[in-house]
Parts: sequence; structure tokens; C-alpha cells
Amino acid sequence: MSLAVDALSLIKQFGQIRALDGVSFNIKPGEIYGLIGPNGAGKTTCLRIICTLIKPTSGSIRIFDNDVVKQPEKTRQIISYLPEESGVYQNLTGMEYLEFMAKLQRKPNTNIKVTTNEAADICGLGSRLSDRTKTYSKGMKRRLLVARALMTQPKLAVLDEPASGLDIIHAYHIREIIKRYVKEHGLTVLLSSHNMLEVEYLCDRVSLINKGKLILEGKPKVLKAEYKCENLEEVFMKVVGYA
Amino acid sequence: MLKGFTIILLKELKELMRDPKILVGMIVLPLIMFPVLGLVMGYAVQSAQTEAQTATLLVTNNDGGNWSKVFVGYLNRTLKIVLIENVSPQVVLDQGLLAKNNSTTLVEVPSGFSQNLTVHIDGTWNVIGLVNVYGVFSGGGGIFSGMSGNTVATVVGGFNRAVAPDLVQISQSSIIKGQIEYGVDSIALSGLLLSQAIALPITIMIMLTYAMQIAATSVAMEKEEKTLETLLTVPVDRFAILMGKVSSTIIVAGVAAVTVLIGYNYMIGSISTGLTSSLGSGVNLVALGLVPNVLGYILLGVSLFFTLLSALALAVVMSAFSENVRGAQALVGYVYPLIFIPSLALVYLDVNTLPLVLKAVFYAIPYSHPILASKAVVTGDYATVLFGIIYVALFTVIIMYIASRLFATEKILTAKFRFGKSKAKENSE
Repeated sequence: MSLAVDALSLIKQFGQIRALDGVSFNIKPGEIYGLIGPNGAGKTTCLRIICTLIKPTSGSIRIFDNDVVKQPEKTRQIISYLPEESGVYQNLTGMEYLEFMAKLQRKPNTNIKVTTNEAADICGLGSRLSDRTKTYSKGMKRRLLVARALMTQPKLAVLDEPASGLDIIHAYHIREIIKRYVKEHGLTVLLSSHNMLEVEYLCDRVSLINKGKLILEGKPKVLKAEYKCENLEEVFMKVVGYA
Repeated sequence: MLKGFTIILLKELKELMRDPKILVGMIVLPLIMFPVLGLVMGYAVQSAQTEAQTATLLVTNNDGGNWSKVFVGYLNRTLKIVLIENVSPQVVLDQGLLAKNNSTTLVEVPSGFSQNLTVHIDGTWNVIGLVNVYGVFSGGGGIFSGMSGNTVATVVGGFNRAVAPDLVQISQSSIIKGQIEYGVDSIALSGLLLSQAIALPITIMIMLTYAMQIAATSVAMEKEEKTLETLLTVPVDRFAILMGKVSSTIIVAGVAAVTVLIGYNYMIGSISTGLTSSLGSGVNLVALGLVPNVLGYILLGVSLFFTLLSALALAVVMSAFSENVRGAQALVGYVYPLIFIPSLALVYLDVNTLPLVLKAVFYAIPYSHPILASKAVVTGDYATVLFGIIYVALFTVIIMYIASRLFATEKILTAKFRFGKSKAKENSE
């Protein structure tokens, strides 16, 4: 069986700054995989490369056997990306936004209505979907965006800080959506977060990234046991030498 | 004084002055643009004066009497004239004598002139000497183009002061497209049609700047609202995204071009009415051939459309280099002098009278072309209009190509127009 993600020696240089420095990892189909690290570690750069937004300076990356650099169009057909700072069109209603995105991401033999109903179920916004999104709270927008990312059941969902900046209730709801929906439909998820507790709760495996380098990889339970820590936060601090 | 007012004022000023886009757009550009306009206008006045002073006046004396010789002699002392004897204005026109003598004004001293002057001086004051002045109406002139025609009136006034008040009067006629239009004052006609020469450039100027501001927000808004990244990862051709954005502006451009033409056509109709009332009945702009025909309107519409399209495409490309709507609007502001200068300058100038370098500069600016076209369609100079359409269309294709390249690469996300600040730090995260 082909790997969902197969990244090999990824390097990304922005001028004098090396944002990614030889990052390699792979994700199996059906896994929830987390990239964790502090702000500026290179997580978003890595996700942007996977989602065909930017090209690596060197190295290779394949998504379900599609070369991301050479076959960006094919890659875009099987992925869905939720950027960390993502917005919605303020003058569209929630439902109109979902319909617009569903049409753009439409796969053969799929029904737009079924897809948007699916999204409505995922986000749980009910009648508020008829309102313009400019009336939504930050948490409601994020729920809409997560639903948009998952509604087409992509083979790989790439979620950058899915619950970043949200209050406890909305963050909890979003984590529940991801956990439940992904397992139900067998999707593969790559998510990044600097919230290590969130990642520990959601992910089957994690990678720790710091200063553009992948410094540790494994299952949360195994890593905690190996470093004799109570949570991934402590593991990270030990690995980078702050504890 | 209001508590905290000074502190807030100083902070706001500091922020504004540290924003190079505002500094350049609001202070440096006007400092450059208005002196340039001043130079252009100064040149226009100077060239009009020179033209008036050096213009050759073709005088045909069909009288032959003593007074006609005195009058022609007076003209000759003040103006540069070429004298012909016993040739009717129609024959002058048929033989192309005006062009051969490099003149745009014909003065006819008609038969009976000397006798009328003698009668007038003998005390019959209601008999006067009439001189027929025929001005060639070019249609392409600027605000100062009537100067040489006025010079004849000034010299005739001088003659009357020297001999007898109201002794000689002028009857103005125009030569329009090779035809003599009796009783149509070419100076008054130029003055009335000047409103047309001013209105269209001003309208185009407002329309272009307004449309560019709107178009500039199309990509910048996607960046500011953080929707662009998502859009670029969906399985849709990126050229389709670009074309979707540009096409919406094409529709707006098309509607805007039609709107301008409708308004323009209405304005021409109003001028025609005004002309009839000021120059007497029987004067009809359509009959004079001074209103664009259907082909002229179509070409003017196409010229307007392509100019708008090129401006909108350029605004879309420029907005891709900014991080937010404010930045995009500031960026397109740098293009405004290229809209303002030809729009304002071509009111004052006839581009054909400019030196080659200045002429080339005006032709190189895409936004000059609808203004040049608006004058050219009146005179039937369709070659100029077609050249402008082809030039602006090519310019648009190049801009669209750059835009498509920009959308196809990561530059759409990473390209930023900035003043000396490294972009690498912001890109790496």
C-alpha cells in the first residue's frame, strides 16, 4: 500500500533563512499525524509545500504516489488544506461559501447538495448557515472552515493549527469533529500545532520540529515513556534542551 | 485643548510619515506630477503664441480698390501674409492654396470693399466694409488653438482705431473637412467643442482611477481576508482563478465604457443645441461632420474598453504584490500620474504639434489613447484610433501574461513590493 505522505530531505530556503532543513517523514493512510513545534519552527512552510503552494528548494515529497512538485494538479485533487489564518468571504452566507467551495472541489459523481449537507452536519451551525459570515464569531468561522476542509472527504486533509486562538468550547468542538469524522471516514490527516496537548489527544504519531529540523518522531505514548514525561510538552523541552 | 489630542496626533503623524507608500503617493508624486503638467502647459502656451506670431495668413483681394490695398498693407505690416489677387475662396480651397502656403486662415477682401469704406467715411455710417475670414477647423487642437484666428480680429481692430470706428468688420466662416461652412465661427466652434475636449478626459480619468481602486482590492482582499491560500489549493486551474477575477472586471469595464458613451453622446447633443443657439439656426454638428459616426462610436468604445481592461489587469497584478487592501490601493496610486498627465495635458495640447520625443511619450502611455481617439473619431482619423487599440491590446496581453505567470508560481503568495525591508523573515515560519 502506498504511503499517504512521503517526504524526503525537504529543504526550503527563503533568502538567507533556511526554513526547512532536511525534513523527512512519512504518514500511513488513515493516520492522524501531527507536526509540533514552536512558532517559526517550519511547520507551516512544510504544510505549504505539501499543499502545492510553495516549492521546496530541494528534496522530494509524494502524496499517495503523486509528486507534489511535478504533479501539483493531481495532488490538489486529493488534498484539502486549512491554513492557520484562513478567512471566509464576508459577503457570502455560510451555506453559499460551502456551495462555492464544494463546486470548486467537486469530484466526479458527487452531489453538491449532499456535500454541503455533510458540511452542515460537521460544523453544527444550523440555521446560522443562512447568515452572512461577517456576522460569525471567530469560533463559528473556524468550524465552518474545518467543515469545508473535510466535507469532500479528501484522501489527505492538511490542517494548520485547526483550533488555534479559539475558546475552550469551540476548540473542543473542532477537536471532536476531527477525531470523529476522520475515523468514521478513514481520512488521513496531517495537522500542525504548537498546542502539544491537542496533538497528544488527536494524533496517532507526531514529529517534533525545531528551527527547521525534525528532531523526534513517534507515537505520543511511546515518546512520553521513552523520555519519562507526563506530556509531549515536557518531551519537547527535554529534547531541545530547555529542561 | 482636548486631553490626549496632541499625543494621538503625534503618533498618527509618525505612523503616516513612516509609511513610504503614503509619503511617495501623497507628497513625492504630486511634487513631480504638477511641475510636469506645468511644463506641458507652458509649452502649449508658448507653441500657440509662436504659431500665432509666425502663422502665414493667406489673403485674397477680390476688390482691387485703394482701400483694399491700404487694408492689405496694414495686415502686411503686422502679420506674415501671402497675397493673391482675384481668387474666390472656393477656388483657393479647390486648388489647395491654404495647404501650399502652410496657412490655416484665409482672409477675403470681397468686391465692393473699397467703395463701402468710402461711403462710410463720407458719413453713411451704416455701410461698412466686410472682410470674410475662413478658419480651418482641425478638431485636434487644444485650448489655445484659437489664437491665430483671434490675431486677425485684433489687427482689424487696430485698423479701425487708426482709420474710423467700426469701419471694417469680420464675417467668420469655417472650413471643415474641406468644405466651407458659411457663418460658422471657427473660433466659437473650437470654444464650444472644448467642453467635449475637457469632459471626456476628465470622465476617463475618474473612471480609470475608480475602476483600478476596485480591481486592486480583488486579489488584495483575498490576501487580507486570508482566503487566497485556500483558493490556490483547490483543484482548479490557477489561470481560471485569474481569468475569473479579470473577467468580472471586464464586465464592469464593458458596462462602464457603454455608460461613458451614452453620457458622451448626450453631451454632444447638448453642445449641438448650444451651438445652434449661439451661432444661429441651420448649424448642425451632424451636418458639419463634427459628431462621431457609428463606426467612430464603436471604435471609441473599443478603445475605452481595452484601456479599462489594461488598467484593471495592471491593478490586479499590482495588488498581488501587496499584503492588504490598503497596500494595494497605495500601489496602484503610483500609476495615477500616467492617467492624470495625459488626461489633463491633452486638453491643452494637440499631440500632433508636439516634438517627436514628447509625442512618443504620450503615445507610449496606454491611458492617452482613448483621449486621442475621442479627438480622432471627430476628424475621421481612424488610423490613429486603430493604432491605439492595437497598442493597448498588446499592452494588456503582456500584463495578462505576467499575471498568469505570477498566479502559476508561489510568487502570488510571497511577492511583496516593499521599501528595503527583507521579505525572507516574513516568509519563513
